[in-house]
Amino acid sequence: MMVSFFDQFASPSYLGIPLIAIAIALPWVLYPTPSSRWINNRLITAQEWFINRSTNQLMMPLSVQGHKWALLLTSLMIFLITINMLGLLPYTFTPTTQLSLNMGFAVPLWLATVIIGMRNQPTVALGHLLPEGTPIPLIPVLIIIETISLFIRPLALGVRLTANLTAGHLLIQLIATAVFVLLPMMPTVAILTAAVLFLLTLLEVAVAMIQAYVFVLLLSLYLQENT
Amino acid sequence: MLSRLVLVSGHTLKNSGSFGACLVQASRSFHQSSQSLAPVPPLPEKGGKVRHGIFPEELFSLLYPKTGVTGPYMLGTGLLLYMLSKEIYVINHETFAAASIGAVVIYGIKKFGPSVATFVDKINEDKVAKAQEVKDQAMASLAQGIQDEKKEQWRVEGRHMLFDAKRNNVAMLLETNYRERLHMVTNEVKKRLDYQVELQNLHRRMEQEHMVNWVEQSVIKSITPQQEKESIAKCIADLKVLAKATQARATV
Repeated sequence: MMVSFFDQFASPSYLGIPLIAIAIALPWVLYPTPSSRWINNRLITAQEWFINRSTNQLMMPLSVQGHKWALLLTSLMIFLITINMLGLLPYTFTPTTQLSLNMGFAVPLWLATVIIGMRNQPTVALGHLLPEGTPIPLIPVLIIIETISLFIRPLALGVRLTANLTAGHLLIQLIATAVFVLLPMMPTVAILTAAVLFLLTLLEVAVAMIQAYVFVLLLSLYLQENT
Repeated sequence: MLSRLVLVSGHTLKNSGSFGACLVQASRSFHQSSQSLAPVPPLPEKGGKVRHGIFPEELFSLLYPKTGVTGPYMLGTGLLLYMLSKEIYVINHETFAAASIGAVVIYGIKKFGPSVATFVDKINEDKVAKAQEVKDQAMASLAQGIQDEKKEQWRVEGRHMLFDAKRNNVAMLLETNYRERLHMVTNEVKKRLDYQVELQNLHRRMEQEHMVNWVEQSVIKSITPQQEKESIAKCIADLKVLAKATQARATV
C-alpha cells in the first residue's frame, strides 16, 4: 500500500462509497451526552467545564443579541478542534484540509454577520468602512480599500484554516519520509530528524487547537462589529 | 403442534389488526412491576480497568486460564509480526509520524493526566461540599432551635419565682407607701398640737408680762419722792461702807 503525499487530502471513499459523511460526523461520536445526573464522571465534568468556560469567554464581549450565536459558535469550535486533532493521527483524513468545507463554514457565517449589521444598524455597519481620523483626501481610496478588506474576510477565514492544516500535515509527511529514508543510511541524522519531527508534531497539535479557536474568534469579532 | 401454531398466531395477532387490540387487553397484566425510573442506578466510581492505557483487563483475564500471564503479550507480538511479515501493514513514513504523535500523546497523558483528574474531581467535590454545607447549616440551625426551645421551657418553669419576686416587690411598695402616709399623718397632727401648745405658752407669757408690767407700774407709781430720796441716800451709805470693806480686804 504505497501512500503518496496527496492521498491524505483526497476525499475518502471505499469501493466507490464516499465516506466523507462518516468523516465529518465522527467528532459527534466522541463526546458523551451530559446525563441528567447531578454529579457526572470525570469525562463529562471536564467536557462541561470546558464548554462552559469557552462559551463564557467567547460571549463576554458580545452584546445580548450576539448571544444568540452561542450554540453555533461553541459547536463550531468543538467540531473544528476535534477534526484538527483527529487529523494528526496516522492514516486519517482531515476534512478541514478541504477548502470546500472551510469556505462552506466561512462564507455563510461571515455573510450572516454582514447582513445582520446592514439590517439592524446600516449606518454603523457602513461606518466601519471608514476608520476614524483619516485625512479628507484619502477618504475615497480608503473606502475602496476597506471594502476590499471586508470582502476578503471570508476568503481569509477559509484559506487560513485550510492552508495551516494542509501545510502542517504535508510537513509532517515530508519530515517523516526524510526520517524513513535516512534511517538505513545515516542513523544519527535520522534521529536528529526524528527529534525535529517530534517538535513539529507538538507544533501541529498547538496549531490545530489555535486555528480552530482563531476561526471562531474572528467570527465572533465580526459579529461584535455588526450587532 | 397445532398448539404451537395457536401460540405463534396469537402472538402475531396481538400486534396486528382490529381485533388484535382486545386480545392485547385480555392478555396484558396490569401493575405487576413498579415501572419507575427513579432512583437512577448509581454510576460506577472508576472506569473499566485497562493495562498499558488501552487494553482492557478483561482480555487478560479471558486469556489467563488457557495461556497464563504471557498469553496476551504473545498474541500482540504475534499479530504485529504477522502483519509486518505478510506486508498487511507496511512500514512507511506514516509509521514514524504515528510514532511521533504517539509519543506526544503518551507524554501529554503521563504529565497532565493526574492534575486534570484532580481538577475535575475537585469540581465535583465542590458541588457536593456546597450541598453538604447547606444541609449542615440547616441541621445546625434546627439543633440551635431545639436548644433555644429547651431554654425557653426552662425559663417558663422558673416563672413562679419571677412572680413571687414581683409580688414581694409590690407588697414592699405598698408597705412603704402606707408607712409614709402614717408618718405624714403623725407629722400633721403633731404640728397642730404644737401650734396649740405654742398658743397656750404665748397666752401665759403675755399674761405674765402684762402682770409684771402692771406690778412695776403700780410700784413705780407708789414710790413717793421722799422715799426715793431716802433710798438713794441709803444706797450711797451702803456703797461707802462696802467700798471701805473692799479697800481693807484689798490691802490685806
